[in-house]
Amino acid sequence: MVDSHPTVVSVDGDPDEQAATVDALSAAGFEVIQETTVSGATSALSSEIDCVVTATTLPDGTGFDVLERVRAAYADCPVVLFGEASPADVPADSQSHIVEYLPRSIPGVRERLVSLIKDATMGGYQVAYPVPEDEQARLEALAAYDVTDFTTAETFDRLTKLVVSHFDIDKAFVGLVDEHEERFVACEGADWQTVAREDTICTHTILEHEVMVVEDLTEDPRFASNDQLRELDVRSYAGAQLTTPGGQTIGALCCLDSETRSYTTEECQDLQLFADEAMEQLELRRRLNERLPQETA
Amino acid sequence: MSQANDAGYVFEGVPLEPVSEGTNILVTGPSLGGLRQLLLGLLAGPSEEGILLVAADVSATEAVGDFKAIGGNVDPSRMCLIDCAQDSSESESEQIHGVATPADLTGIGMSFSQLYEQLHASGTARVRTGLYTLGPLLMYADDIRPVYRFLHTVTGRIQSVDGLGVCAVDPAAQDERTIKSVAQTFDGQVELRERDGTHQIRSHGLSGQPDGWHSVDINGTARSHQ
Repeated sequence: MVDSHPTVVSVDGDPDEQAATVDALSAAGFEVIQETTVSGATSALSSEIDCVVTATTLPDGTGFDVLERVRAAYADCPVVLFGEASPADVPADSQSHIVEYLPRSIPGVRERLVSLIKDATMGGYQVAYPVPEDEQARLEALAAYDVTDFTTAETFDRLTKLVVSHFDIDKAFVGLVDEHEERFVACEGADWQTVAREDTICTHTILEHEVMVVEDLTEDPRFASNDQLRELDVRSYAGAQLTTPGGQTIGALCCLDSETRSYTTEECQDLQLFADEAMEQLELRRRLNERLPQETA
Repeated sequence: MSQANDAGYVFEGVPLEPVSEGTNILVTGPSLGGLRQLLLGLLAGPSEEGILLVAADVSATEAVGDFKAIGGNVDPSRMCLIDCAQDSSESESEQIHGVATPADLTGIGMSFSQLYEQLHASGTARVRTGLYTLGPLLMYADDIRPVYRFLHTVTGRIQSVDGLGVCAVDPAAQDERTIKSVAQTFDGQVELRERDGTHQIRSHGLSGQPDGWHSVDINGTARSHQ
């Protein structure tokens, strides 16, 4: 969600440059955490942050070192490399170091930096997955179905157990696709809590209008190089959308198997029925959640 | 503010209505059926606008030649290129940056930022950015996820600076599922096809555009600006 006062970590070893950056960002309404080194920036990542601006050269490393640490802690966090650099400075593994770059020598650079960070902190700026067009509305809809306060697990545990039995597969889960991760409401066959969104298949499923089937993940370019899925022993997938009465897709009910697998039209229809049942349960709990505070009062 | 600014980005010689500043368009069609000419035609704007072309399928020299061939006016002060061909070092200059391979997404992104700022500092407020084509970036990537990150970063920057982004891809040469998911990064699409010896385009997802297929003379799209 977009924070009204996003937190930006500014990493710069030059006191004058750092002061100028902090002044510009603070004046624009950002909360600023100041760090001067790669190790300092790494410590700052324990806080909730929305963006990192780093100088290219630091006393104990480079801006790319900071980038690596940010990606490990917050995969979706936008990072701006702010300084003078050339493509020759890019580490050999270029694909892991994609970054916004702003040369410091341009006129009015801090005005440009502020404008860039305002846009970067609006969401979806540097993420490694496709994002629905109406993502903000989708996230707002999802927030209304936050089930963490409910004793919902048993209902969904039963449902996913039924799905595993019905389709004769390894695993089934009900997953909610949140801003940066997928949260598992229930998962039969594995003990998963969350997975980073860029590693999930469901972040693609929520873009579809019908059940999404991937018969063999190793043959699908979107997932063939996803080590996380390989480590979880996932080879085939079928996912049916969880769509709210208002039309927002907030997650999916999914089948997984360690073998390649196809799904017939009838099986896809059954899976969608299971998903509709899961959505109805979520909707009932959302309504209950709305009524409870009033009744308590 | 000029009339062109008020009207967004105007396409002379291409049957599309102007699009608002910050728009990113995916152009799909056959590589050998006019895709390059259409992309270059969409980049050809009024003389006060700049052009930044990422040449991933062709060399910078070829791209400039093709731009001239469709009637484009090559003004070195307002046209910059990123040449992703491996032997690009020969043609490197202040206006032409080279990266070793289309796999170097970070290098391409940094060159894009640097050249954009260069154009902006020289007084070019509005810049049309083209990527021809997305194919090599997808083909050279070990994993598609960095390509999503690259596209989000570049299209986000174009949106942030009120630019225009046009990215071409030949869907026949790519996995259909990949193209569908990559298209999500763009505001809309323009499709190109050949029918009975003529080229036709239609658009999706871009507001205020004409419905259906419309003929286009892709070999002279830039001449109307002269």
